[in-house]
Order: sequence, then structure tokens, then C-alpha cells
Amino acid sequence: MISQKKASYLVIAALFALGALMPFVVRKYHLNMLTEIIVFALYAVSYNLLLGYAGLLSFGHAMFFGMGAFTVAVSLIHIPGLSLWNAVLLAIATTTAVGFITGGFLLRHKGAYFALLTLAFNSLFYAVATKWHRITGGDDGLSITRPDLHLGFTTVKMAGLANFYYLTLGVIGAAIVFCWYFTKTAMGQTVLLMRENEERMKFLGYNTNISRLILFTFTGALAGLAGAFYTLHFQFVSQSAISVDMTTTVLLMTFVGGTGTFWGPILGAFVYIIVQNYLSDITDRWPLFMGLIFVMMVLLIPGGLSQIIQTIRGRFSGKRDTGKPVAAEESPT
Amino acid sequence: MSDYLQIQNIHKDFSGLKVLTGIDVAVREKQRHAVIGPNGAGKTTLFNIISGRFKASSGAILFKGQDISNTPAHARNRHGLSRSFQITNVFQELTVFENIRSGVRSRSGLRYNFLRKPDNHRQINDRTEAIAAEVGLQAVMHMPVSALSYGQQRALEIAITLSTEPELILLDEPTAGMTREETGRAIRMIDRVTAGRTLIIIEHDMEVVFSLADTISVLHYGKILVSDIPERIRTDQRVKDAYLGEE
Amino acid sequence: MSEVPVFFLHGLAYAGLLFLVSAGLTLVFGMMNVLNFAHAAMYMLGAYFSFTLLQATGQFWLCLLICPLLLFAIGALVERFLLRRVHAYGHLHELLLTFGLAYIITELVKWVWGNFPQAVNLGGFLGRTVELFGIIYPVYRIFIFVCAIFVGTAMALVLYKTRLGIILRAAVNDNEMVNALGFNVPLVFTGVFAFGAALSGLAGVIAGPLLTTYPGMAHEILIDAFVVIVVGGFGSLGGAVVASLLIGELQSFGVLLFPKLSLALVYMLMAAVLIIKPSGLFGERQ
Repeated sequence: MISQKKASYLVIAALFALGALMPFVVRKYHLNMLTEIIVFALYAVSYNLLLGYAGLLSFGHAMFFGMGAFTVAVSLIHIPGLSLWNAVLLAIATTTAVGFITGGFLLRHKGAYFALLTLAFNSLFYAVATKWHRITGGDDGLSITRPDLHLGFTTVKMAGLANFYYLTLGVIGAAIVFCWYFTKTAMGQTVLLMRENEERMKFLGYNTNISRLILFTFTGALAGLAGAFYTLHFQFVSQSAISVDMTTTVLLMTFVGGTGTFWGPILGAFVYIIVQNYLSDITDRWPLFMGLIFVMMVLLIPGGLSQIIQTIRGRFSGKRDTGKPVAAEESPT
Repeated sequence: MSDYLQIQNIHKDFSGLKVLTGIDVAVREKQRHAVIGPNGAGKTTLFNIISGRFKASSGAILFKGQDISNTPAHARNRHGLSRSFQITNVFQELTVFENIRSGVRSRSGLRYNFLRKPDNHRQINDRTEAIAAEVGLQAVMHMPVSALSYGQQRALEIAITLSTEPELILLDEPTAGMTREETGRAIRMIDRVTAGRTLIIIEHDMEVVFSLADTISVLHYGKILVSDIPERIRTDQRVKDAYLGEE
Repeated sequence: MSEVPVFFLHGLAYAGLLFLVSAGLTLVFGMMNVLNFAHAAMYMLGAYFSFTLLQATGQFWLCLLICPLLLFAIGALVERFLLRRVHAYGHLHELLLTFGLAYIITELVKWVWGNFPQAVNLGGFLGRTVELFGIIYPVYRIFIFVCAIFVGTAMALVLYKTRLGIILRAAVNDNEMVNALGFNVPLVFTGVFAFGAALSGLAGVIAGPLLTTYPGMAHEILIDAFVVIVVGGFGSLGGAVVASLLIGELQSFGVLLFPKLSLALVYMLMAAVLIIKPSGLFGERQ
């Protein structure tokens, strides 16, 4: 009898193995899409750590995504010979800093105030990006070439799709797994508990303000990492990456996938991108379609697709009808 | 002997409404101090000020010689102060075990750690079980809060208060709403778990008060009427007058 | 600088428009604790309905009358059948719903009217200019400001001089109490929400000829309206007036004095208010 814990690790290993096989079984077009899905899966997972786990509705997550995306592009263009790693690390560093500073302002407020402020900040960042078109490329955007990956003993060419896909699978995949692990760590549990009863947490010795700030910064950095790979994948970035639309996208993905489970947002990213790809061939109005699904979910199935799936499977892990993740106890084995 | 907890000339106004006026109380270490008084006298407000939920309008609180008047609530807890709530204030969606563990791991320094999982911590989990046993909730440890009886929920409330290993425990009407039998059990449990620690307890039930307390302060319309040992409180005319009309 | 009075008047006109949009928003938020993201979408609907009606009939006065009524009906339906449903799930869900609605409305508008700006041309009296203290100034902008004053005064009269007004103000303060006193609070909510939508729609009708009518207009005014209610204080009508004037003039003169920074000025004002007095100039601490 495999314990729940070991089963989870098996599933993760299987997914990675499956992922590793993909370049051999799918066409280039689909591999491209798969890379995009992985990047957005991290973006959505990071967003759900805020929304589903901490109960914070932010309309500004694209600030970090776009920041990471632009940092990679701008640094690769203006710093000759910059390595891939360093560009990505730079992106993470800047988004961490931005997350910490903006978090300090934004997190003083809760609920609707907070949502409103994040929207305003996102708009501000977008406005700045538009105004600064000498650096950000304005409407035309910035084009880059993926630098090769120098691993000390060998150099891996990143120009081709398959190699970059593996890099994405490895790095972004690892980041997603770390997020999953995080939900079980002390900090992850603290975040959940704060959503449950913040006041009691204070009387149990938790500095809830610091906790929120740490989480906000952490999720911002993750979104920045996703943004960095976004630029590397498309080898192009424009101000749309930092727009409120980009926040709307991740909100839709996360919510439709389901905020009540860890894997919901991953499913949401998958569904969203697939639908976007195929539906956009049929009609220009596919965003309307997504919007309708979203509103339907809000009205009828607040737990999203993952709630539907779990109801079908008849599994229970704490209360699911509220669509909130719960600290599920792992079996003592 | 310098006072363990010193409440100095505390005033509390809520938009013009004077709830507490000139409160002076000294609590000695390991004392069992009951605060009683008619409804609306300001007892819970006093607790809120001691524990850091509200700031006093004026006056000071000294704990172990340190002025904690402006210390935030979570820091006061880290200093060894813990309080319970009159209306059960727990983590509704979690199990008893997870509820208690939230405090235990706070004490053990596992609050913001990104790498360590509370599930893997033998010491934390053992301590959590021990506390659950102390309050008599061992049998229902892995059940959600919603499945507990009222008396069990009040026991959980106390368990969470204890989980951070406090030196100074504030219990706010722990036996409110309990049956006679449950109250008797609760008295014995509170006696057991607060042994060797300092206790301040707000209560309406005089049986609880006289069973547990070695000192009683009577609060009346936001002022301390008298603060003395139980025998003298029992016969104090002012106290009797204050309670005329109650029961 | 002879331009200053002109910019000042421009500021007034925009302030008037902002007030019309924000007044409903702040009332709804103050009373129901729902930040209606769809509010600006309704503004946009007002503009588009007016555009179509104007094309069909050529009568602007008809648009001013009918379009707000249409939005009133839409607002009532939204509140009664959609918003109320998610009320039980909590504030987060209400926000998500209004946000989703805004998204859908924007997409519908793009579908029906096209994803490009529409020009609204007003002939007649409103299309002319008039001479005012030596300046030639478009009548229309004065009209906007006059409209705003008219609506604002009417609202103030209702809120402060009628029995309904007392109930509404009480509900902003403490809606549970009002419910306990026997008033049909759900009906009040529907009414207020619908009224907010109608007001927003009216603002849209008025904005059409002034600003461009295009699918992005909702977002544009949404941010400014949000800033108005943050600065003015949630639930405060007086705050909305003062803040609208402040921001209207700031936008107007900002373009003149600090062209590079003009975009950020409004945000900086909001940030300043949030730091100094988070509940807004006239707001109460929630």
C-alpha cells in the first residue's frame, strides 16, 4: 500500500518522464505550445499561492511577470555577452526587489482596497513601460536571440526548440515542484492559517504583516521567473507582458482551473492555452467564450475545473465546496 | 518582590464612552487571579489591552519589568503571554491536531521556514498530542472542529492558548455555556494545565472562581472595586451591592 | 498665460465627468462593500447605446433620457440575479463576478460595434462654441459641468433632505442595523446598484462626444474613478466632489506643466493619500 506521500512523488516523476518524451512524440507546433503552457503554469501556480492559499485577490500580478520578461530582454540587449543564467537571475532579483517594495505599500490594505491598488499599480507600470519606449521598445517590442547555455563542461545550443523545451521543463518544472513542496512547509502552512483566522495567528506569535510580505515577494519572484522564460521562449517581449490584460489572463487561468487545489491552475493554464490556440482559429471572439466560462464558474462552480474533477472522482480532502485549499493531513506513514 | 504583571492606571475610551477608568492591578508570579464583575464592566476590554488587541487610551502595562504597552500582540505572545477568547476563535476548517500544532510550531521556531515541513517534526507532533491529551481531546484529535461538541470546542480553545507554552495565561470565560458536569471537568483540567504558571481568569461562575483563584479583583463600571483574597471578597458588602440584581 | 483659464475649464469639464462616474461607484462600495469593476463597463455601454441611438434618431436629448434608463434596468437585473447569488460566497467572489462581467461586456462591445473608435458628432447648439470672459470655449464642455452640478445637487438633496436619503446614508454606515429596523435592504441594494449603473451610463452618454468612444474607454476612466474614490473616501459623496475636482484639474494642468510625468501624477496623488490618510480625505475608518 503506497502512502499518499510516496504516491505524490511517483506522480511527479512520471510527469517529468512523460515530459521528457514529448519532443519525440509530438510535432514542433505542439512542442512550442507545451513550452508556453509550462511557463504559464508557473505563472498561474504563483498566482494561486496568493489567491487560493493566502486569499489575496491581486489585479497586478503582471507587474512581476512583465518585469521579469523585460529584465531578460533589456539585459540581453544592453549587456553584451550576458549568459542565460545571469539574465534569468537578474530577472528574479529585480522582481524580488520590486515585490518587496510594492508589497510594503500594497499590503497595508485588505480585500477590495488591495485589489484596487494592485490594479492601479499594474496600470502605472504599464504606463511607464509605454512611456519609456526607448528602453522597452514601445509598441514594437524587443527582440532577442536566446543565448546558448554554458554549463562549464559543455555548451548547449538554445536556438533550437527541443533544447529550450528541456531547459523549461527542468527549470520551470522544478520551480513548480518547489511551489508544491512549499505548501507543505512551515511557511506554506502559516499562509493557509492566516487566511483561516489571521487574528488568532497574531495571538499565537505570528507576525502576520511580515508573513504576507514574504509571500507576496516570493510569488512575485516566481512570476518574474515565468516572465523571464516567456521572453526566452518567444524571443520577443512587448508592453503587453506587463499589461492588465496579462493579469486578467492569469486570473482566468487560475480561477477556471480551480483555486482549491494545487494542480488546478496548471490545468487552467493548459486549458486556456489550448482553447486560445484552437478557438482563435475558429473565431475572433474566443476571449468572450473564456469570459463566459469564467463568470459561469464564479456563479456556479467556484472551485473551477478541479472541483468538477474531484467531485467526479468522489475524493475528499477536507471541505472542497468552498473552493479553498485546505491543509490536508498526510497519512502518518 | 517586584510584580510579574503590572497594570498601571489604564484608561480606555471608545469614542467618548469610558470603558475603563484608572485600572491598577498587580499580579504576582504563579498567582491565580480571577477578574469578576457584572456584564459590561469592562473585563474583556481589560484582557484585550493586556494581550495587545487594543491599545489603552492611557496608562501602561509592565510584564516582567518590561513596558509592553506598545508591543504588538504577536510579540507579547513571544514574551510568554497567551490568551483565550470568550467566543471560540479557532481554525474552523482544520482538525484539532492542526489547530493545536499551529501554536506549538510557533514556539518551536517553525513559523516562516520555507524548507521544513511541520509534518516531519517528531518533537512538534508529540508535543501537540500531549497538549491534546492534557485537555482531554486525544480521542478526537484528527477530527475537524465542526464535529466537536461545544464543551470540546471550549477545551480546544484552551488547548490552543496553551500551545505556545505561555508563562502567563489569560482565560476569558472558559466555562461559558457549559453544563454543571462539563464545568466540573473544566475546573479540574484548568487546575492541571495551569500548574506552575500564572493565570488570570475572567469568570461569571462563582464555583469556578472560588475553586481556582487565590486572588480576586472585582470590576464594576470600568473601575476596580476591590482586590483581595476570596474569603474577604465573599463577605465584602460593596461586592454584594454591585451584584444585586444579578442572579 | 492665456491658456490657464482654458485648462482650468477643461479640468472642470473632466471633473464633472469623473464625478458622474465615481458618485455611483462610491455609493455602491460604501453601502454594499462591493467594488463594482463592471461600473466602467456600464459607462462604456452608455456611450455605445447613445452612439447607436444617435445614429438612428439624431436626437441627443433622447439619448440622455433613454440610455441611463436602459442601464438602470441592466444594473437592476445584474444585482438581483447575479450579484446576489455570489453574495454568500464572500467579497472575493463579488469582486470576481463584477470583474468577469466587465470582461464580458467589453468583449460584447467589441463584437457588436467593432474594435475601433467611433466618432460621435453633435450638431446643433451643443456643437458650438461660446465666448466666455474673452475666451472662445466649446459649449459642450460647459454642458458637462452643468450636468454634473445638476446631478450632484439632486443627489445631495435626496440624500440629505428626504426620508429615503436618511435610510441610504444609514445603510452606508451600518446596513445590518437598517435591515433590523425593518427596511427592505435587498430592495435598497438593487435600487442603489441600478442607480449607480444608470449614473454611469449617463456619464458614458455625455463622454461619447468628448472623449473617443472605443472599447478601451472603460479601463481609462476606471482607474481615474478608482483614484477619485480612494482619495475622496469610500462612501462619501462630498469626497467624490472634491476628489473629482482635484483630479480633473491635475489631469488638465499635468499635461501642461509636467508632460513627461502627467500619467504618473494621478497615481502619485493616490499613493500620497494612501500613506497619509488611508481612508481617504472624507472617508471613515472602516
